[in-house]
Amino acid sequence: MEITETTEGAMGVAVLDGRLDTATAPATEAKLLAMLEKGGVIADLSAVRYVSSAGLRVLLKAAKQAKAAGRGFSVVGLQPAVREVFEISGFDKIIPAFDSRAAAAAG
Amino acid sequence: MEPAFHLRLAPSPGNVATLLDALEAYAEASALPPAVAMRLALIAEELAANVAMHATGASFFALSVRPAEGGLELAIEDDGPAFDPLGAAAPDTAAPLETREVGGLGVHFLREMTRAPRYERREGRNRLVCTLPLEA
Repeated sequence: MEITETTEGAMGVAVLDGRLDTATAPATEAKLLAMLEKGGVIADLSAVRYVSSAGLRVLLKAAKQAKAAGRGFSVVGLQPAVREVFEISGFDKIIPAFDSRAAAAAG
Repeated sequence: MEPAFHLRLAPSPGNVATLLDALEAYAEASALPPAVAMRLALIAEELAANVAMHATGASFFALSVRPAEGGLELAIEDDGPAFDPLGAAAPDTAAPLETREVGGLGVHFLREMTRAPRYERREGRNRLVCTLPLEA
């Protein structure tokens, strides 16, 4: 998993590349939570082909921390297989998903 | 019949990644539809990660996959303490963000994505068998 940090408007963007799984969850969580200390975050999952429950836990933690801090947290670029995992787990109802970073930044 | 896929590893988070790499190669060689490959990896990771993170004293986990009636038959074994993943409570997938619990998704995937999951404890080993449908 590689994570590149950039911005879109006032939001931080974490561009994730690789699998979000048991092995990569701890480093991804640390990165997302650190970025949320500074402001709202968009997680760009366009290059993520696999998200397991360990990965979902990371996204849930980030969303909870963002909510508690009054900041935005959203995802963009869900691949079809990743979208299925979001839907089965009910995450499509609790984490906002957008088609593009610009749409996510506009909220 | 020989299993189409068999891998036995020491339980560690790093080896969960090793298992996923091997399953990706298997899915590609078998030309599995991407959605099926994803479900196969999800189920395997959930069960392997359970052993790697929680099964104190386990010396291995093993996954076998073989073509069967109506899909792929998965068999996962480990020699950790007796643990039936099917006994875990399902998460409330309709709960709002504030009250949504972090755990329980693994068994939810197992119930939603596979057919006839069954657990048995035999000769000091946990064994879980289920069928993964091949329809995308």
